[in-house]
Amino acid sequence: MKKIIFFCFFIVTMSGCSHHDSKNSPMSLIREIHPTPAIIGSKESDDIDMLNKVKKDVEDMEELFDVAVIKGEKEILVAYKVKHLQRFHMVKIEEKLNKMLEEDYPDEDFIVSSDFKIFLEAVELHDKMEEDKDYSEEKAQKKFDKIIKLKKEMT
Amino acid sequence: MGKKAQKTPEQKSYQQLEQQHETKRPVLKNCLRAFWVGGLFCIVGQAISLFYIYFFNFTEQTSGNPTVATMVFIAMLLTGFGVYDRIGQYAGAGSAVPVTGFGNAVISASIEHRTEGFVLGVGGNMFKLAGSVLLFGVFSAFVIALIKTILIRWGVI
Amino acid sequence: MLKGKQSWVFENRPVIAATGVSGGPFEANGKLADDFDILHDDLWMGQDSYEKAHRILLEEASQTAIQKVNLQTSDIQFMIAGDLINQITPTSLGARTLSIPYMGIFGACSTSMEGLALSSFIINYNGANHILTGASSHNAAVEKQFRYPTEYGGQKPPTAQWTITGAGVGILKANQGETGVPVTTSATIGKVVDLGLTDPFNMGGAMAPAAADTISAHFEDLQIDPSYYDLIVTGDLGKIGQETTYDLLSKKGITLDREKFQDCGLLIYKEGQPVQSGGSGAGCSATVLYGHLLNEMKKGTYKKILVVATGALLSPLTFQQNESIPCIAHAVSIEMN
Repeated sequence: MKKIIFFCFFIVTMSGCSHHDSKNSPMSLIREIHPTPAIIGSKESDDIDMLNKVKKDVEDMEELFDVAVIKGEKEILVAYKVKHLQRFHMVKIEEKLNKMLEEDYPDEDFIVSSDFKIFLEAVELHDKMEEDKDYSEEKAQKKFDKIIKLKKEMT
Repeated sequence: MGKKAQKTPEQKSYQQLEQQHETKRPVLKNCLRAFWVGGLFCIVGQAISLFYIYFFNFTEQTSGNPTVATMVFIAMLLTGFGVYDRIGQYAGAGSAVPVTGFGNAVISASIEHRTEGFVLGVGGNMFKLAGSVLLFGVFSAFVIALIKTILIRWGVI
Repeated sequence: MLKGKQSWVFENRPVIAATGVSGGPFEANGKLADDFDILHDDLWMGQDSYEKAHRILLEEASQTAIQKVNLQTSDIQFMIAGDLINQITPTSLGARTLSIPYMGIFGACSTSMEGLALSSFIINYNGANHILTGASSHNAAVEKQFRYPTEYGGQKPPTAQWTITGAGVGILKANQGETGVPVTTSATIGKVVDLGLTDPFNMGGAMAPAAADTISAHFEDLQIDPSYYDLIVTGDLGKIGQETTYDLLSKKGITLDREKFQDCGLLIYKEGQPVQSGGSGAGCSATVLYGHLLNEMKKGTYKKILVVATGALLSPLTFQQNESIPCIAHAVSIEMN
């Protein structure tokens, strides 16, 4: 029995030592992060305003909390967390969100996901872009594409 | 087989008498124990699932497979060390219903029949208990999928 | 000599000359650990299968008993024994090692008394000078055959019983006028009784009517009443079966003294050992009788006892085919000469 406890403890410790690039993303399981929207490439204020509006619209949905919005070359990624008791209606919430975004922003291409992994990666990308000045646009776009791929993989 | 023989009056009266002395299963206690031990298993499962999400490229949906594999692996260790059957006696459905219970059924049968050799013993008896779960699980999944397909064709859902 | 409908009286009073009792780790923690000659602290007993370990139990118990009377295996004319595993192979293989002329018997958990009754009968009519008789069971081997794998985490209901790991054998010999030795005086052979119970996790409840039937037949055939005995002990009825038997006998007008009505399955383990309703198995009545009870008789605690071993004659096949559990009980009366 003692050995088993020790084994579990060992695993937990080892995983704690594991390296993560961002300070916010590991905490996002416990805490609300509310990251500011991020844009890869363009620095136009129009885009930033638009993203802020998207973020506000999405966060206003009462089933959700904590939204991360990232704009890449083509798509806008919207990752969100669903309130615990609303998780039974995840499919409906996604439909509703898609519909709302399509109606309000007909020109944009949205990818929405309630998956925690996507949220985690989005926060990490956001933090990297903010903290690391050397983090190049190309690298960011590459990571963004990776997230999109991950999201598509599961469907 | 099949048709149950009619009970004679003597059998009936005896069974009534025997019922008075029979220790009843403590259903409520068993439920509570199953609830908390089963819940504990699920917490461990959730932790493993998050572990895969954090440190590997798995999403909430794809992390299911490695999590189940890990849980079955842990069940295997516990079965081999002779702990799982004790948990089972305490928790009942709490340890039998999660996927670990399935792992335990497979592994306990394999250990038990190791003495009859690998082919006829382990190979032949591994699914002695779990085989029917697999068979009827796959079959009922097939039936449900068939019903769903038909309903979608008809436009009901 | 036949007396009444189904009982034998042994006028020549065969002597139980020596006994050998072996047990496993669970029994070593039990109440009667001191009454075992050999205790193993491992279920495997140094063998590579539980069935082989089962055989070792019987061999060791037999050899201990034979040594106690200073005999060779060649001095024993017959061996009458049995167990619960497929075609009683552990006993047969044990008999191969001992190479004593052998009769294998199967009476499930009543095997011990079936063997003792038959042996007494043969000795009584000078059919042999020495007979070795006994029964054995091994928890893991029996669980494997009748229930689930040992490590399977299924929940056992509180009515279930724990098959004991152990073997008990006795050597019977013709009485040459010794005193202060336990002798068998009579035996009652039971008939198969089946009151329709089908739950293999409630053997005690299924076997109770058989025990009650044999006990009442014994008193009727021998024209005695329960006060004749200092102790009436059943094989492995467990808590439920014992209570039920008591009730059944009361209904038939036989009132037993609660203090003088015991059960081997309840005697062998301590409170708190996870055995649910008590011990069971062919070895249960054998180890308790040839160990604890005969020791107590030699100490003078009991003068006359009646041992009623009960057996559930089911197989894994029959209960899966929804057959009810047929049960049997055999009684042997043992007295100090």
